[in-house]
Parts: sequence; structure tokens; C-alpha cells
Amino acid sequence: MQMTSSVARPSAARIPWLSLGVWGALAILVLIAYARAPQATTAVLTSTIRQSTPIILGAMAGIMCERSGVINIGIEGMMLIAAFLGYLANVWTGNLLLATAGALLVGGAVGAFHALMSITLKVDQIIAGTVINILAVGFTGYFYQQGLTTRGKLAPIDIAPLSSIPIIGPVFFNNPPITYASLVLIVVIHVLLFRTAWGLRTRAVGEHPAAADTVGIAVNRVRYINVIIGGMLAGLAGGFLTLEAVGSFERNMTNGRGFVSLAVMIFGKWTPFGAWGGSLLFGFANAMQSQIQFLQNQLPPWLAWVSQTPPQFIGMLPYLLTIAVLAGFVGRARPPAAIGKVYEKE
Amino acid sequence: MKKPLYATILLIVAALIAACGQAGQGGGAAAPTTAPVAAPTTAPQATEADCARPEVLCVGLVTDVGEIDDKSFNQSAWEGVKRAERELGAIVNYVETKDAKDYAANIGLFTEKGYDVIVTVGFALTEATTAAAGENPNVKFIGVDQFQAEAVPNVAGLIFAEDKAGFLAGVLAAEMSKSNKIAAVLGTNLVPPVVAFKEGYENGARYAKPDIQIISTYHPGGLDTAFTDPKWGGDQAKLAIDQGADVIFGAGGKTGNGALIETAANQGVFCIGVDTDQWETVPEAHPCLISSAMKLITPGVFDLIQKAKDGAFPSGNYVGEVGLAPFHDFDSQVPQEVKARLAEVDKGLRDGSIPTGYNPGG
Repeated sequence: MQMTSSVARPSAARIPWLSLGVWGALAILVLIAYARAPQATTAVLTSTIRQSTPIILGAMAGIMCERSGVINIGIEGMMLIAAFLGYLANVWTGNLLLATAGALLVGGAVGAFHALMSITLKVDQIIAGTVINILAVGFTGYFYQQGLTTRGKLAPIDIAPLSSIPIIGPVFFNNPPITYASLVLIVVIHVLLFRTAWGLRTRAVGEHPAAADTVGIAVNRVRYINVIIGGMLAGLAGGFLTLEAVGSFERNMTNGRGFVSLAVMIFGKWTPFGAWGGSLLFGFANAMQSQIQFLQNQLPPWLAWVSQTPPQFIGMLPYLLTIAVLAGFVGRARPPAAIGKVYEKE
Repeated sequence: MKKPLYATILLIVAALIAACGQAGQGGGAAAPTTAPVAAPTTAPQATEADCARPEVLCVGLVTDVGEIDDKSFNQSAWEGVKRAERELGAIVNYVETKDAKDYAANIGLFTEKGYDVIVTVGFALTEATTAAAGENPNVKFIGVDQFQAEAVPNVAGLIFAEDKAGFLAGVLAAEMSKSNKIAAVLGTNLVPPVVAFKEGYENGARYAKPDIQIISTYHPGGLDTAFTDPKWGGDQAKLAIDQGADVIFGAGGKTGNGALIETAANQGVFCIGVDTDQWETVPEAHPCLISSAMKLITPGVFDLIQKAKDGAFPSGNYVGEVGLAPFHDFDSQVPQEVKARLAEVDKGLRDGSIPTGYNPGG
């Protein structure tokens, strides 16, 4: 009954007043803040991008898998394994490009493993994802040695004329490579999913595999490839953690970011730009959480209570915001119809 | 249909690997030992059998989960024990704890052999140490970083005035800052020593420069994540540096290390480590690490062993020394008058003429 034409298009013809209002209000707030404290505002926005990067990469990993009908709750594990092996590659070779490629490949391999389990072996897809998550914690925890040192991490690249634009310049055009890659990938994946034949096939397989099969699409092959691409995106998110953000590894360092990605994916209704909005909100809430602590003793007296609140409470805000947004603003989030179902020819 | 069989095998293999990983945690690359307790290595003179005799001083050390050469707490405490071997002729030995379940069993390895002094390293062993002390009233226990809420006659908790170490770090940070803005990236405020480091740091910085701007942030997570989130630490360091902070104090285990490594990627910004001399533990931070706010565990452990030998063993809390680590490569960049100022503040902190302004509960 839901199979109307609006399914294929990411945003319906109705103007999304609510989200426009939210983003507009945020933009005005940012401009007011910039007028008062330009340096701090730019720093918070830069931090927003930085904190949203692994989330949007993870969310796009989820989108690729789920649009083709395969649930992937193993993003957290894929990120962790790729982060770890990317880090080891960096320790051994000292070549960051090679290490990033390694993280991508490892992510792809774990994605292939997920595809093998959930498509060929027909394991329950939730369990297959859980296996990956548990395996990742055990594998990385067991092989991690304390005391290995890396030779640096990916440095920011300044895109010369653009980076001198106020606000936008330092925030968007002075980032390290994986952050740039994630921004480009948002557009690439959007075009791939909604403007190419491959995207149409992917979505067809995710919505109605039997119909896709009758027009000659190799359902399982499409799913395999999409899950592997998704794995590579999760691998890039892992590489971001060890090769770009930290430069070192720590046990369980993903700290739930893969699961946040899944929430953000649903928040964005399985579209790259929607998920980007979600991950930016999440990154912004996280950055504000620190900024509020920074502002201790600098706030006017009537706002002093803000900095008196425990950091744990403020730390809860990103998650509260996520719940509020999921419950109120997004409306009904409808997953691809054939998600989680193994396709077998009759 | 054989498919479910494959799936089951996969699941079992995955579960096994995961289980092995859990057991090996903390042990790092150690062999996948199934024995929960690592046997103590034999002492050099093989006179461990004499420990039961009162005139032979035997000192055993039980590590927290981790290795004896962790370049941190365990190793510092073990060096104090080894100094007792050299200078007091003690027979010494250690057990590496592989799993938090084994604290009591590992302490038991020493008590049943008649050891006189047992050093347990880390806050996490407090309960096991107190229990073992009750069962073995003739054995002296030294609990590193174990605050004693109630004094037990044969337990000395080696604790540190983190606020004093933080105060020195704060003075150094304020003196070295050109932008007049410094930052601290901290583990959780649920752990009192972290709060002490922060308050000491801020008060020290204000002591040196009353108009200094300090921006500090606690990790919002719980005990499970607050000290093992280097990404968060790095994010905070970047956020602070982007706002003009030019000295970053990273105090929060791996979270703090993340802040140090991030700071190292920025030109003209200094960082200060915590607990031990992090020049040794975080080589990635060499480009920025001017010093560390240290707890001097090695001399503290040695002093307590000596007191135990002399029959003057204190019970309750024993406050060890704190101080700043060497400046290493930055020695020439720290001006002479800053060094003089630090020495003067250190003296003032010791004789009590400079209060750190940190009073828990008050």
C-alpha cells in the first residue's frame, strides 16, 4: 500500500518546514555567536565537522548495506578491526597512505565476511552483525600490544584561497584527507544511489528483490557488492580514528560510534544528506558539550548554572537530542521493504 | 540443508576467539595462557624458601591487570621493590595479574610462602588487599594509590597529593603560555585524583598569572570509557588549541594521551603529561611534551619497605612525593627564571606556605 512513487525519491514534494526551521534557527545562532566570539565559534564548528566524520562514514556504510536489503549492525566492529589493522600498517610501514588503503581493504574484507554470513550462509543478519562486533573486540584486544609507536598521523591540508573565507574557510577547507574524502563521498553516494542504474538496482533489490530478479538483476551479486562497499566505508571510518584523529590505537576505542552511526542513518531516512545532517547535529552537540565546560567562570551570572551542571549530564545531550529528533521531527522512518530478508528464488 | 551447521561453527569460532581475547586483555601479546595465575619467577638467589624465617626480608609485588614493564604504575612500583633488593638485601618477586578476578589469589601466592611485605599496585586492588591484611596480620601490605578510609594496622596506602603535582604543572603552563590561555583535558570527575589534578592545575596557573584564562573539560562518560577514549581527548585538545590555548595538560590515561598526541601535531603548542614521565610512555608526544605532573611511586614504595624493615611501618595513608618530570628536549626553552619560580613554588608547597586551594569535601 506504500508502494507509491514517493518511495524512490529521498525527499517528497512537500517542503520540510520543520527541518528548514531548525537549520535556519541554528544558522542564525551561529552567526550571533560568531559576532560575539569569532574564534570560539569557528573552533566549535571545526570540532563539529571533526566529530561528525566517523559518524557520517559509518552511517553511509549502513545506508549502502540496508538500501540493498542487508541489515548491518556490525559497523562498530568493522570500524574497530579496520582501525586496528590500519594502525598496525602505520606502525610497520610508516606510510599513512598505505595504512589508509589497508583500513579500506580490511573494512571491505569484513564486509565480505558479513555478506557471506548473511547472504550465502543465510545467518540471521542481526546475529551476523553481532558476531562481527564481538569478534572485533576480542581480536583487537588480544593482538594489541602496548608500547607500539606510530610515525605520525594525517595532517590537515589547507586549500589556499578557500580557507580564508570567514567561518566556512577554516571549517571546511582546512581538514585532513579522510575528512575531505567523507565530504566528497556524501555527494558521490547520493548520486550513486539516486542518479545511476546501479543505485536503482540497489534500491530495487532492497525493496522488492523478486521483482528485481524478474527483470534480470542478480539480487545476491548486487547485495554482495553493496555490503562490501559499505564495509569499506566503515573501514574508512576506522582509519579516520587511528590514522587521522588520534594517531594511535586503544582497545575498544570506537566507543559506540558505530551504533550512533546507525541511529544517524535512520534519522537521515537512509539518505546520505539526511544522515549528514544527523551526524552534524550529533557532532555539534558533542562540541557544545565541551564548550559549555570551557565557558566555566566566563558566563554571565544568570547563566552560571549551565556550567555548574555535571559533565555527565551535558554529555547526555547529544543522545537526548538524537532521541528527540528521531521521535519528533523525522516523522515516520521507513526502512527498505526487503531489509533483513534472505532472497531465495522460488 | 547444511547451512545452519556452518553458521553454528562460525558462531562458535567467533565466540572462542572473543573469549581468548578477553582472557588476553591486559596481557597484550602474552601467550594465550589458560592458567589464570602466572607463576612467580624464581628469585635470583633461590632463597625464597627462607622467607618464613623472621630475619629474611621478602617483598612480593602484585601488579594491577597489565605487565610489570608497563612504563607506568606497575613498573614504577617494581623499581622501588628492586631498590629494596639492592639496598636492603631483600628477596623480591612479582606476579603479573592477568584478570581482575585473580587479585586475591595472586596475593595468596606470597602470603602462603611467608613473605613479609606485599606491594599491591593500583586502586582496584584496595578490597583484595584489605581482605588479605585481615587474614595475615603479620604481613605488611603496601597499597599503591589505595586510599584508606579506615586505617588497618598492617596496611599502608601510598597516596599522592595530586593537587600539588597539578599546581606545579599549572605554574609551568602559565609561565610558558604566550597567549595567556591554557587548557586541561581530563578523565572523569568521578575519580578524586583527577579532580585534584584539575583544581591544583588551575590554582597553580592563577598563582603564577592571576589573569590567565583556563579552559578545562572532563570526559562525560563513565569509568568504562573515560580513560580509554583517545579520540575524545584529541578532539578536546584541538577544540582548545583552535581557541588560542597554547599549553594543554592531558590528565586521564589514554584519553589524556590522545590530547597529548593531538597537541604534538600543532606548531607552537606545549603539552604536559601526567602520573609518570610521559616522555617515556608516549613518544608520539615528543614534539610538544615539556614535562609531566608525576607521582613518585618508586621512592614511596622504597620508603615504606624500609619502614617495614625497621619496624616503623605506618598504617593508614602515607603521602608520597610528587613533582615535575625533567624537561628533556625542552630544557633550553624553559627560561631560567621559570625554573627558579618552579623551585620556589615546590618549596612552598612542601613547607605548606603555598596552599593548593584544593580541599575535597570542603
